[in-house]
Amino acid sequence: MSEQPAAISEDDIHAYVDGALSSERREQVERAIELNPALAARVSDYFSLNNMFHERYDRVLNEPIPPRLRALENKRRAWSGANWPQFAALAATLVLGIGIGVGTGSYLPWANSSRVDTVAADTSETMAREAALAHVVYMPTVDRPSEIGKDREHDFVQYLSNKLGTDVHPPMLTKSGFQLMGGRILPGEDGPMAQFMYRDAKGERVTLCISQRKTSANTTAFKLYQDGPVSVFYWIDGAFGYAVSGGIDRKVMLELAHDVHAQLAETTPG
Amino acid sequence: MDIRNDLMEHVPRLRRYARALLTNRELADDLVQDTLERALSRSRTFEYGTDLRAWLFTIMHNVFVNQVRKASARVVHVSVDDEAFGETELAASGGQLHSLEVRDLDYALQRLPAEQREVVLLVGLEEMSYAEVANALSVPIGTVMSRLSRGRERLRSLMAGAQPGAKLKVVR
Repeated sequence: MSEQPAAISEDDIHAYVDGALSSERREQVERAIELNPALAARVSDYFSLNNMFHERYDRVLNEPIPPRLRALENKRRAWSGANWPQFAALAATLVLGIGIGVGTGSYLPWANSSRVDTVAADTSETMAREAALAHVVYMPTVDRPSEIGKDREHDFVQYLSNKLGTDVHPPMLTKSGFQLMGGRILPGEDGPMAQFMYRDAKGERVTLCISQRKTSANTTAFKLYQDGPVSVFYWIDGAFGYAVSGGIDRKVMLELAHDVHAQLAETTPG
Repeated sequence: MDIRNDLMEHVPRLRRYARALLTNRELADDLVQDTLERALSRSRTFEYGTDLRAWLFTIMHNVFVNQVRKASARVVHVSVDDEAFGETELAASGGQLHSLEVRDLDYALQRLPAEQREVVLLVGLEEMSYAEVANALSVPIGTVMSRLSRGRERLRSLMAGAQPGAKLKVVR
């Protein structure tokens, strides 16, 4: 109606993407998009996101419905079942993003005998939180190619570094009973983060995240971040941040962290 | 009247949304199961002729929010058995890093605050109208719009960060 169309609002942009505008308003938004490449890129990304949701999750529509959902009388539940509560609580806690960071404390029984400090929350805690989240999201997907046997840890380290296109080599934790299982590059708050997964004979998993920091800092002591059942020991060494995450005994985790630190100190020039 | 059969019709979509919301298959199906059980126990409160799907998503949202609260219970020890996961993928099968991996979308979504994740998915995946989303979440439409706007923009930047080419290098 109006000769002077109202300015395009943020809500209009989303309503355009979601097909919720009148045809008149839609044309106005389209004209605005034609004149504004940055807006066009944004709108295109929003459309892409919606498409990605469908590409990723529509497959669920075609999955057979599990028996426990077909027979609603069936009270056997994973959520409260014997095998599940630990992981359920772990995943839910992290997934829902309500973890609480805890500066390590003197309450830790081994605090006197190791490099654990009480440190106030800082930006490096973001890395610890991301490491904990990545641990939970990607941990289930770990699988080592069967052609690289247990006795060929060196080969696998090289293979993985090549595959990821990084010259950051994962340390070997075989001496502590953990075997390298896989790795990936993830986006982090500060830039890319390399995540390496390890597993021991009992099936316990730990992950090591290495991220490059924007500002180089002095070496810090180990800090502990606790998110539900996931413990993360993390530290900064020059331009890199490191985080060891897992749900196992903290003493074992701390030993692993020491092991990682010692190996990286050997190979990475200061 | 028994709405059981009508409920079953909606299970695939409830499962899809729950999977996107929680990533993990078992946890997602738990959420669906809780939702269905609650729906059955309250089927009398459902008014025939109204939108059953909207009613179910409202229930699912309430169950989800309750689980957010419960999840604050701390558990110390964790072990995860392999059989529990239907979809193991080879972490080290080559060539996939040239495009975004499917898990990257899971990861980016999980980094969104739960309230933004709900809105972004109800609109983008479930294709609900803003009014339906406001109704399901019991919030004003303005809140839906601001969560949608913040959530989409955040997700966009998270996914941009996941673009291939982001490599980690040792600086010597």
